[in-house]
Amino acid sequence: MKFRSLAVAAVAALSLTAVAACGSSDGDSDNAASGPTTIDVWLMKGSVSDDFLKRFTDDFAAKHPDIKANVQIQEWNGIGPKIIGALASKDAPDVIEVGNTQVAQYAASGGVKDLTDKKADLKGDDWIEGLAGPGNYEGKQYGIPYYAANRVVIYRKDLFQAAGVTPPKTRDEWLATSAKLNTGGNQGIYLPGQNFYVLSGFIWDEGGDLAVKEGDAWKGALSTPEALKGMDFYKQIQALGKGPKDSDEAKPTQTDVFAQGKVAQMIAVPGAAELIAQANPALKDKLGFFPIPGKTADKPGAVFTGGSDLIIPEASDGQDAAYTFIKELAGEQWQTDLAKTMKYVPNRKALAGSVGSDEGVAAMAAGAANGKATPNSPNWAAVEAKNPIKEYQTKVLTGGDPAAAAKAADEIITQALNTK
Amino acid sequence: MRTSLGRKLSLNTLALIVFAFSVFPVYWMVLTAFKPTKDIQAETPSFFPTNITFAHFGTAVNADGFWLFWRNSALVAVTAVLLSLVVACLAAYAVARMKWRGRQAFILMVFIAQMTPWEALLIPMYVIARDTDMLDKLTMLTLIYFMVTLPFTIVTLRGFLKAIPIELEEAAQVDGCNQFQAFRRIVFPLLAPGLLSTSLFGFITAWNEFAFANLLIIKNQDQRTLPVWLSSFSNTFGTDWGATMAAATLFMLPVLLIFLVLQGRVTAGVAAGAVKG
Amino acid sequence: MAVTHVETPETPVAPHAGPPAAGRRGPALPVRLLPYLLIAPTVLGTAYLLVYPLIRNLVISFQKFGIAQLIRGGADFVGFDNYRQILSDRMFWSVVLRTFVFTAINVTLIMVLATLVALLIGALGKGMRLAVMGGLVVAWAIPVIAATTVFQWLFQSQLGVVNWVLVALGFEQFDGYAWFANGTSTFAIIVVLIVWQSVPFAALTLYAAMTTVPKELHESAQIDGAGGVKTFTLITFPILRPMFGLIFCLEVIWVFKCFVQIWAISQGGPGNATLTLPVYAYQVAQSLNRYDLGAAISMVTVLILAVALLAYFRQMFKEEGEL
Repeated sequence: MKFRSLAVAAVAALSLTAVAACGSSDGDSDNAASGPTTIDVWLMKGSVSDDFLKRFTDDFAAKHPDIKANVQIQEWNGIGPKIIGALASKDAPDVIEVGNTQVAQYAASGGVKDLTDKKADLKGDDWIEGLAGPGNYEGKQYGIPYYAANRVVIYRKDLFQAAGVTPPKTRDEWLATSAKLNTGGNQGIYLPGQNFYVLSGFIWDEGGDLAVKEGDAWKGALSTPEALKGMDFYKQIQALGKGPKDSDEAKPTQTDVFAQGKVAQMIAVPGAAELIAQANPALKDKLGFFPIPGKTADKPGAVFTGGSDLIIPEASDGQDAAYTFIKELAGEQWQTDLAKTMKYVPNRKALAGSVGSDEGVAAMAAGAANGKATPNSPNWAAVEAKNPIKEYQTKVLTGGDPAAAAKAADEIITQALNTK
Repeated sequence: MRTSLGRKLSLNTLALIVFAFSVFPVYWMVLTAFKPTKDIQAETPSFFPTNITFAHFGTAVNADGFWLFWRNSALVAVTAVLLSLVVACLAAYAVARMKWRGRQAFILMVFIAQMTPWEALLIPMYVIARDTDMLDKLTMLTLIYFMVTLPFTIVTLRGFLKAIPIELEEAAQVDGCNQFQAFRRIVFPLLAPGLLSTSLFGFITAWNEFAFANLLIIKNQDQRTLPVWLSSFSNTFGTDWGATMAAATLFMLPVLLIFLVLQGRVTAGVAAGAVKG
Repeated sequence: MAVTHVETPETPVAPHAGPPAAGRRGPALPVRLLPYLLIAPTVLGTAYLLVYPLIRNLVISFQKFGIAQLIRGGADFVGFDNYRQILSDRMFWSVVLRTFVFTAINVTLIMVLATLVALLIGALGKGMRLAVMGGLVVAWAIPVIAATTVFQWLFQSQLGVVNWVLVALGFEQFDGYAWFANGTSTFAIIVVLIVWQSVPFAALTLYAAMTTVPKELHESAQIDGAGGVKTFTLITFPILRPMFGLIFCLEVIWVFKCFVQIWAISQGGPGNATLTLPVYAYQVAQSLNRYDLGAAISMVTVLILAVALLAYFRQMFKEEGEL
């Protein structure tokens, strides 16, 4: 899944560093034989801040003078074809950051190096499942876990106080709280109709799934009773605000809507709070976080684990140097730093404690315990590309028959996942 | 000409409506570029600038590589358009003014070229570029945009040429001009409106193209073009629409500029043509 | 007028070629070769930049060619399998039908509106004319990504300007109305967007063409008592018929293969309400990474389009024949 940045403003400046770094690579071909190996690294926009990148690359250059790493920052828009283009080219980048749900697709194509034998070296047994699972295709590890994040509820402390409510612990409380907040021109919760990651969480809570594998074949599972219950809850909570029923969190940008000051809650990764504060500084100190409530108070709601893995293309000509780079970036020192700086979940469970006391990160970590991934099929990316789940949500929210709509969506999912 | 006041008034009202309809979405874009982020998704839309900020333009212009990508785009688009104008002028003249064997086949070819669904050629183009070491090169993009605009340019220029009475040219040749001079002095000025709309079209097409620019410029980020860069204001949470709209506004300016510059010449050309005709 | 040209390669009609043309040797070889020289750059460019990729595309459409074959090479030939798979899919035919309906609606609207606007521009005073033309160019010049975004905003169910205006006008049922939840309204919005973006080119080109019609003809028609409509049907349209035909043909081609706007707004949805051939081809090729099927669909698209425009070509060649 696309998991992008938290610090947008920083990012613009970030790529400047990257370009400047590239600019000096003119002489590469001359000293390729004798001089340092040059590797090209693609990180996605927002995966690292300007500041972090500089610290990391400085340290890397000091530790590994024999490797010259050019880090380039890629845009999310159009990245799919571009990565395929890179994997198919003669002169591929050496390390690529890939959304966790996309790894299987690239791995299946044969363009990605199998890194199973490095797993022990990277303490792979301790990796968090939401990253390691999707990075694994047919028993081989292609994607090395990089960082994760998951959604929490961002809420307005002042509005909660005014309404005399506290962060809910269960779904029922959540509905009641949101209903109370949904008065006087304020929206109890802003939830766009097509946030299918949130819906996935509700479905997992009920014991359902988006699709299940039966033998060799996949089958869409939205029409199972569990999944329908999840959708029903989505409909209830969605109604407690003015989220558009026919659109997702990007259209309009939900942080911009929240920044208007009339929304009590929204569901996003903690980093979104910074964007809200940027758009409306008056809200800066009024934002709080809590994990998405589960069915019972003892367990937070299931969430989709978004994040990225790192891969090495087969076409890379500096695979050893590339691995050295990955080992550093995915290693303890920089994982801890990255998680702190960017408010991410680090790639290993053992590092979770090191993240610090940030309120948003704490809420995220609590939710992460119940993190799940989308179906691990190379075709899942195709399902997301023209998303039948989103259309299903809109249909149900605008009064369609849930069972029939779910069945129609299931058919599309089944077909997409079983295309060879 | 007789024009009653009422007719004039209703014509101008109509014109205003057309103007408003064509401009409103663009106006909304520009307006958004000047709105503080907080006001972009306002509950009551404001149709006039109240709270003007230049911050988004700052973000856009200061975004890294802005000028570089601007230059790349301009280079690619202008070269492609000029190239296709020259090549198309030659071909259109041959088609509209000369009789030769194979002309119909040629016209048919141009029309079929016009039908090419370019998105479908992404992969073959990629493979060709990869196998000929043309990945990461603006030259490849320029050539593709040249080809995308060429059939259209030939077809329209041919249409315009055909609409210009051949007698004018013949008269000039009788007056002692050779074929080339007759073309330059008589046909070219009359062709100016056609050249304007075709070159604008070509420019806009090349200037806007995303899919090829995204796929064929892979490793060398300095060779990216503006449309690819335009998407750089999005992040996990959606898009920084203020900055995107500011960038889009800046992105649109060259086209308007070209129009304004050419506009004067076109009117002059039309007038000159009318006098001579 | 366009049909009255009588022309031979060596243009001078009068035998007294005169001193400037002294160097010419009559209908000599170079003169007969001239047209071929003039089209040579076009032919060469097309061969390398279009025919060659199309052939590659054709080859791919006969192979099993997915992301793995793109990366590792070694695609196997599968004969007509891809074509068989597409053509036997009922979905494909419904997409074809929809594409035709979509094209017909859009092109009709574009032609009618563009003609009216072009006539309007011609009738305006200088200042107003420049303003309208400027407005059209602005609409035309706006980057596609910005235009589609703005349209999506305008039609947002919450916070959208259109709903706001409708509610302000008293249509309460549009409060929070979800335009993109419904196939028909999504289809309509895309039509509006495409017409809005296409009219400027057609109108400006038609207007430019109209300025080449000698004023005397109009004036004499008006002296004869012909009104606006009559002047148009009797003078302007017949003279510019090739131009109208051309623009019509171009608009058919563009609308038929229109992709970016549909993809950005609805990706063919909701349901398949806005799924046209190019969107379908892209969906198959890029989302499912079935480049082979996508290639086959695109080849069929070109074929369908060529057949659909056959009538136009014949007409055009008839006119050419009279030339």
